[in-house]
Amino acid sequence: MTVNYLPKNRSKYVYVKRIFFLAVIFIFVAAVFPFLDTTIIAVASPIWRTINKILGSEVPPSLMSNQTQENILLELAGRKQKTNVVVASVLTRPPQTPYDVIIIDAGLNESIVIGSEVSLPEGPILGTVSEVFPKSAKVKLFSASGDETNAILERHNVPVTLIGAGGGNFRFELPRDMIVETGDRILSSDIAARHLATVGDVSVRPTDSFKEVLAKSPINIFALRFVFVAP
Amino acid sequence: MTRRLIGFVLILVSILILPYWIYIPVLFVGIVLFPFFWEGIVLTFFINIIHNVGTNFSVSLVSPLTLAALVALIVMLPIRGSLRSYV
Repeated sequence: MTVNYLPKNRSKYVYVKRIFFLAVIFIFVAAVFPFLDTTIIAVASPIWRTINKILGSEVPPSLMSNQTQENILLELAGRKQKTNVVVASVLTRPPQTPYDVIIIDAGLNESIVIGSEVSLPEGPILGTVSEVFPKSAKVKLFSASGDETNAILERHNVPVTLIGAGGGNFRFELPRDMIVETGDRILSSDIAARHLATVGDVSVRPTDSFKEVLAKSPINIFALRFVFVAP
Repeated sequence: MTRRLIGFVLILVSILILPYWIYIPVLFVGIVLFPFFWEGIVLTFFINIIHNVGTNFSVSLVSPLTLAALVALIVMLPIRGSLRSYV
């Protein structure tokens, strides 16, 4: 007995129908999901908080009354910096997220707004708040891929533009004659001149007129636990 | 159907608590294993909403992750169709 397994009765347009269905789903979800972000984050936050509690990543009381040395120096110079910072614990951090974005457990209820600066308790600045929800906020780190940040190379006081390379890394270019060494500090371009990154590697080819400098964040962003947010 | 649902929930939970280098491969394994796993598109948008910023309509449409999931699903259609599950 001959058996023919060829699907003769199958419709020629079965793939077309399915591809059309996928395209509809794709566009529908792309249109609807941006409106659900507050709800989704509100539902997911308790899960992350519980995990943080289990892992012991809650804000220690000693951080609540911290005043950095920079603030004291600025105060002496007659330029007082805002001291009403909010301490927040980090709910999600890389590598949980494929992008250099962290979620913190402070939001609109703590007077945090879009653009608020986020820094470490030790001083180094990390990024800015990009999205705010009632009880949480998303912070885009300066090292997010393609993000450009104005900074100062401390060795020569030269302004540079750091380009985020993801994973807490940056890159920028300098003229090849300019001396830069591993370990040089890169500071923020504001009055506080806070530590932004540290030079990790310098690469230059004989034919290039510029050298590429790779820099890394002064802290391990994969182990972030608490941050300061200046509302 | 039950396996498909369990797979969906497992990927969803892994997106919430595991590193991306685990949940993204797991998601694509799900797309390969389950027939016509359109839920994969929903899950990639879920990743974007949770872990990315500025996720408006136009940005979501051109996100590499969501596009990769869509392409993988489309590519899997003829491949799965030409596979025989019998001898």
